[in-house]
Amino acid sequence: MTGSMPVSAEARPVAGPFTSRPMALTAGLLAVASVLGLVEAALPGLPVVPWLKLGLANIAVVVALVVSGGRTACVVSIGRVLIVGLAAGTLGSPAFAISAAGATVSLAVMWALSRAGRVFSPIGWSAAGSAAHVAAQFCAAAWVLGSWSILVLAPLSVLLALPLGALTGWLARTIVSRLRIV
Amino acid sequence: MTRGDRILIAALICASLLVWPLAAARADSQGGQAYITGPGGRSVISLSRDAEYRIDGAMGEVVVRVVDGSVRVHESGCPDQTCVRTGAVSSAGSVIACVPNRVVIRVGGEADDGFDARVR
Repeated sequence: MTGSMPVSAEARPVAGPFTSRPMALTAGLLAVASVLGLVEAALPGLPVVPWLKLGLANIAVVVALVVSGGRTACVVSIGRVLIVGLAAGTLGSPAFAISAAGATVSLAVMWALSRAGRVFSPIGWSAAGSAAHVAAQFCAAAWVLGSWSILVLAPLSVLLALPLGALTGWLARTIVSRLRIV
Repeated sequence: MTRGDRILIAALICASLLVWPLAAARADSQGGQAYITGPGGRSVISLSRDAEYRIDGAMGEVVVRVVDGSVRVHESGCPDQTCVRTGAVSSAGSVIACVPNRVVIRVGGEADDGFDARVR
């Protein structure tokens, strides 16, 4: 590989997440995402809204999306859900289904926004992804519980998820600007 | 932050504020009682009398306490304890959910399954 490479995965379709250097990058980001996910799983939720978390693992997903593209972000996000599920012992449980639903929908939204050229920055991707994550989690929880009553908590949760997502997006952008990892 | 970001975030804030009354409108005006839905079925409890209830959840027992007209989950056999941390609720439409146990506690009336329209 030569030195100066464009940062988007679309610009170099041969170097996907499964060739040596991108693979090392993907593995590193996956490890960071998993550790952040586990740390967060061990922390209590936020006060007043204990079902909301900061979404620290999303920092690694946004970094993956910025420096490499959708495929790497997908490996980091889905891989992290599986690893955290395995380590926390929730694999196959309703809690796992809910976190998988949130991660998948969030990734889809962030990937779509990242494809829109320079219209949105990682802050916007992350804020919208975070809102989508919470909304999808509420839908999955309502499905698991067989009751829609839980959705009364959704609007407030989505509203609070927006600044949290913007914050993690800002952190991801800051990290990308400080590091030269591609 | 780009201009697109600001518009996107503002649109999402507006969307959640617009949906808010829609979700809250499902809250019945009658407090004073709560519905507990669990894997074993549904029961109504009164909030006017202090008491303790034990519900068999999908993972373990959920201990629900009614004190001074409010209801809270005192103890739950679930790993995340989100239901316990939610604390006490008393206003109509408030919800405490224990997802791993598949238990939902809802203050107020019975309209809690499906998007059935209610005209008042």
